Amino acid sequence: MIRVLFFGPVAERVGARELSVPFVAGMRLQELIDLLSANHPSALDIVSFIAVNQAQVNDRQFPLNDGDEIAFMAKFSGG
Amino acid sequence: MNEPVRIQQEDFSQDAEIAALKASSLRIGGIATFLGCARDFSEGRDVSEISFEAYGSMALAEMNTLRSEAIANFKLIDARIVHRVTTVRAGDNIVFIATAAEHRAAAFDACRWIIDELKQRVPIWKKEITPEGDAWVTPHP
Repeated sequence: MIRVLFFGPVAERVGARELSVPFVAGMRLQELIDLLSANHPSALDIVSFIAVNQAQVNDRQFPLNDGDEIAFMAKFSGG
Repeated sequence: MNEPVRIQQEDFSQDAEIAALKASSLRIGGIATFLGCARDFSEGRDVSEISFEAYGSMALAEMNTLRSEAIANFKLIDARIVHRVTTVRAGDNIVFIATAAEHRAAAFDACRWIIDELKQRVPIWKKEITPEGDAWVTPHP
């Protein structure tokens, strides 16, 4: 399974903090983005950063592995 | 003493953080600090509370990276970063940064650099709770 995490404003728009997505061999980040885009387009609108296993990833073709933790995040506003 | 980089619900003591820095070396000639606290007014609205949320594990890792980068790049002797993740009211403490160096310039520069980078790089979000409703904060450039 892929563990998909949402925080703050993104979690509010998704209506959940976490989703589990079945892992399929050869899966790439783009497939998760497509899934979010189809089911929660307003959440994707405010996503500025994506992290795979707590490291930011910009390459949408980034290959995923079973058990990965993917976070879709809005612009940060700490401090 | 506590870890030099922390995310916590409870308030922090500036005195305790500074004492911990001073205890780390007798070569320190200057300590610069930044204290971020909650305002009661933002974007033309009264703010009664601010609620914070973090991607805790990633935020802590990024804050530790910031500390290490600051120590290396500004030749600091030591540095501490504490960020609260909870709901705060006007006047409450939010974030504390302290940088220790042999001389003041490095301490000042590093302290400013850390808070600026923290806002850009650390996955923490704030929601302002106002009499008119709640709103997630859109960051300023």
